Amino acid sequence: MDGDADDYMSMVITDPVEKREKETYTQRRIRKQREAEIKGRTKSKAELRAEEAAAREAALSKSLDASNKGFRMMKKMGFQEGNALGKGTNGIGRTEPLNIVVKEDRGGVGLDSEKKRKFREEVELEAKRAKAEEGDYRERVRKEREERRTEGLVLGAQRVAEKLDTEAGEAEGHSHTPTTAVDDLARPSARPPRKVRPTRQINVLWRGLVRHREEMERERRIRYDLHQSLSRLPTYDDPTEDDDDKRALGNDGALEEDVEEEDPELDEFNALEAAERLGALVSYLREKYHYCFWCKYRYPDGSMDGCPGVTEEDHD
Amino acid sequence: MDRRPDAEEKPRAKRVKTSNVDPKDNPYLAHRYEEPAKKFQRYATTAAMAKEAEDGPNNFLTGQPLSSQYFRILETRRNLPVHAQRDEFLDIFHRSQIMVFVGETGSGKTTQIPQFVLFDDLPHIHRKTVACTQPRRVAAMSVAQRVADEMDVKLGDEVGYSIRFEDVTSQKTVLKYMTDGMLLREAMNDPDMNRYSCIILDEAHERTLATDILMGLLKEVAVRRRDLKIIIMSATLDAQKFQKYFNDAPLLAVPGRTHPVEIFYTPEPERDYVEAALRTVLQIHAAEPEGDILLFLTGEEEIEDAARKISLEADEMVREADAGPLKVYPLYGTLPPNQQQRIFEPAPPPHRPGGRPGRKCIIATNIAETSLTIDGIVYVVDPGFSKQKVYNPRIRVESLLVSAISKASAQQRAGRAGRTRPGKCFRLYTEAAFKKELIPQTYPEILRSNLASTVLELKKLGIDDLVHFDLMDPPAPETLMRALEELNFLACLDDDGNLTHLGRLASEFPLDPALAVMLISSPEFFCSNEILSLTALLSVPQIFVRPATARKRADDMKARFAHPDGDHLTMLNVYHAFKGPQAQANPKQWCHEHYLSLRALQSADNVRIQLKRIMEREELVLLSTPFEDKKYYENIRRALVSGFFMQVAKKNQTGKSYTTVKDNQEVLLHPSTVLGQDSEWVLYNEFVLTTKNYIRTVTAVRPEWLLVRPIQRSHFSRRSDMLIASLQDIADTYYDINTFPKGDIRSALERTMEKIRRKKQMKGGR
Repeated sequence: MDGDADDYMSMVITDPVEKREKETYTQRRIRKQREAEIKGRTKSKAELRAEEAAAREAALSKSLDASNKGFRMMKKMGFQEGNALGKGTNGIGRTEPLNIVVKEDRGGVGLDSEKKRKFREEVELEAKRAKAEEGDYRERVRKEREERRTEGLVLGAQRVAEKLDTEAGEAEGHSHTPTTAVDDLARPSARPPRKVRPTRQINVLWRGLVRHREEMERERRIRYDLHQSLSRLPTYDDPTEDDDDKRALGNDGALEEDVEEEDPELDEFNALEAAERLGALVSYLREKYHYCFWCKYRYPDGSMDGCPGVTEEDHD
Repeated sequence: MDRRPDAEEKPRAKRVKTSNVDPKDNPYLAHRYEEPAKKFQRYATTAAMAKEAEDGPNNFLTGQPLSSQYFRILETRRNLPVHAQRDEFLDIFHRSQIMVFVGETGSGKTTQIPQFVLFDDLPHIHRKTVACTQPRRVAAMSVAQRVADEMDVKLGDEVGYSIRFEDVTSQKTVLKYMTDGMLLREAMNDPDMNRYSCIILDEAHERTLATDILMGLLKEVAVRRRDLKIIIMSATLDAQKFQKYFNDAPLLAVPGRTHPVEIFYTPEPERDYVEAALRTVLQIHAAEPEGDILLFLTGEEEIEDAARKISLEADEMVREADAGPLKVYPLYGTLPPNQQQRIFEPAPPPHRPGGRPGRKCIIATNIAETSLTIDGIVYVVDPGFSKQKVYNPRIRVESLLVSAISKASAQQRAGRAGRTRPGKCFRLYTEAAFKKELIPQTYPEILRSNLASTVLELKKLGIDDLVHFDLMDPPAPETLMRALEELNFLACLDDDGNLTHLGRLASEFPLDPALAVMLISSPEFFCSNEILSLTALLSVPQIFVRPATARKRADDMKARFAHPDGDHLTMLNVYHAFKGPQAQANPKQWCHEHYLSLRALQSADNVRIQLKRIMEREELVLLSTPFEDKKYYENIRRALVSGFFMQVAKKNQTGKSYTTVKDNQEVLLHPSTVLGQDSEWVLYNEFVLTTKNYIRTVTAVRPEWLLVRPIQRSHFSRRSDMLIASLQDIADTYYDINTFPKGDIRSALERTMEKIRRKKQMKGGR
């Protein structure tokens, strides 16, 4: 028992000591400064008003009690706490003073309660909706999580498809490498004509991936250009620059055109549910390359021996 | 010489020129001295008898021949609605002690009923007086004048009036119009109201504080004095409440002469009632047939602003849309009487013959609701707000706040449209809001007032049990609690609630207890002359004028009088300048130049004379500290503390705001103050609540003065000595440091106390 008491005592004493030790001189100075700032700051009008109103409300809600000298005097006249004054000729008198309501605007009679009514209605409606949705909530959250995960998987499958397609293309001797900004900058004057609309030729299944990358690159370059000089703004048209200069500066906008190009095929694909897109990708990989996205393995033949099935669940 | 007729047989002959010959002996003049009242038996007259007497040829009261003006007025009087029910009235009056009379505005009750009573009660024969109370001073004065004309007598003779600081009555007076507050003060020295045979409480529906107290008193007096007749007059039909209160007194109702009024509501609540009001007035002017407009707004500033805007817009309508001329008249209590009178001017004529008719638009506070009757109003615009006094004992603030009106008020306002012909009332709120938001009746003033003054009066009247005093609407217990506490701190009541010597003395002054106590203790500070002036200045309306068009100039002028220590001393400087030879040479001009209100200063002067009389009567010494003495102003400030120590605020450590002592309310100095921001402690005259909390009329004080009162040598009268003894510990009790919660104010007071102690020790050590 003695030990317990000791423990208790020491705990209480050491705690604040430790705290004090922790604060360095600078920390303390900063803290002091901050405190002084808070204290010394001239309060804004709104703050003052809020404080004023708060103090008023506090005082208004607190009734005078027995500590008041007048109370004792009334007691001597036969007053009993909680009772009203008078003889009650016209009903029982009031026990609470009239409240003070400060009107702060020029709103007409009934405007406030109208506002309140509308607000209440909205709140009620909201509450109703929330209640109805409460059951769905878990479901929704689960779905959203699922969706996000599937999107990630789509991206992964797209990468695999790109890699395999590219490899396949190279193997055929027909470069399928999509145009990238890096290529463009590296070989500014040697642009092959097929590069005007390269993305169109890419398999729609993973075209989105390339397109996204290009968009990112474009943004990066615009930022870079902006850094270089104002004249490098893609929209800036310098009359002394000829086409070559523009190209040399990477300012000719070919890529932008390319990226900004409408692509109904891709839009249509992107409009599909993530799961559907994933399904399409998975079966594409299976059919073309005998690659199982779930096994992460490229089977040698179409029978795909050893793969448990087409879906993710099959692989559990 | 004012002589009352000794007996009914001896008629008075006031204007006798040939003093030797008694005209009574002249047979040719005999009819002149026939006393009509002779035939009259008290409480047994009829309307027919009264009619005969009124028809002359001699004055019923004076016996003098009646003028032609009298007969002209008599005709219009007989057209008033009350006239038709004179017999009914007399019947009830004869058989009951207390009666309730209901007559709408315009029924003629205020002017006629007291005369009906005169012809039946015959106070001039029984050496009594009939009193008729009015809630407002102006009404008492103007109605008295009107009735004096109607009765063909000089105002102040048979018919007079009595208001605070002004008594226009004489020994001859048999009908006295007075403010309800005045009757209450009279009762303090005559609790049975013996000089009156009949008391009429007019406009009882307004439920002023004094009327409510009077009703409570009269209910008791009626039991003691069975011969006293009481008439409660109300303009609204909620008279059952009065009946019930006065033990089911009989009621007589006279219908007003009113036309139907069509009422319009807005479909949606208004976002800005002033803007909506302006729009509505202009729409009426553009689209409605001939007829004047009455718009109700809440206060001077709002009204002046609206008047300006409507005038501008109306001028444009005239130019662009060939509208008729529109003349706008503001109307509010603080407007000088001559400008108030202008509202009775006829509407302007069309711009050209055959053009669209002109109209006038009166923008008024709720004084146009009941007390003033303006003919020709056909359209009423009612935004549903008025400025109402509020009081809450918990924060001790008594202020005027804009609040929604009551249903009864709204009805009253609408009624104003139907005085001449069928009218229209535009309510700027929805019908649902009218039904749900508006309270049925305006709260009586007693629920919205600080009762310190009233409690002192009741104590003086001998009402000891204030808790069970029979009021129609008793206030919240806390209101009484606060009033008793305040009076106890002021040493007007002892701890048992009994009136002290100081309290009795304070009750002699028609002033707030704090002001009275300050005035009584001022000799102690060698500045009773100055405090007397200051008290007078604080009892009248604002002396500084600040027209919207010349604010800068007005402020510059005020700065000339400014005293660095505060507004009280500044007001005193103004008064002293006003009394100086330069100003007195042409006071009107001088006040105009200095942006001061001549009316306010003159009435302050008058109040000062009245108060001085009371001081002299009570043997309070009038003295001054020599102006050269460096303590001249300090003494005055200390004297201020003796009355207003409960209205002190201390500056907050940061910012411009102050915190009131004890109630801990955050307040700002009112922008009108001359006081700089560097005063640590200030004393204030008023705590005003608007959208911000303000303290108005402030003066810097020192914390030592709050804690310690000077011990004076006794070279005044013995009476004052006794006072000093009772005053000695006031501040000690209020500023008992132990009663303060921990905080800035408490620690500041503790520091001050320590300083005082050290000083004392040093002195003692020497």
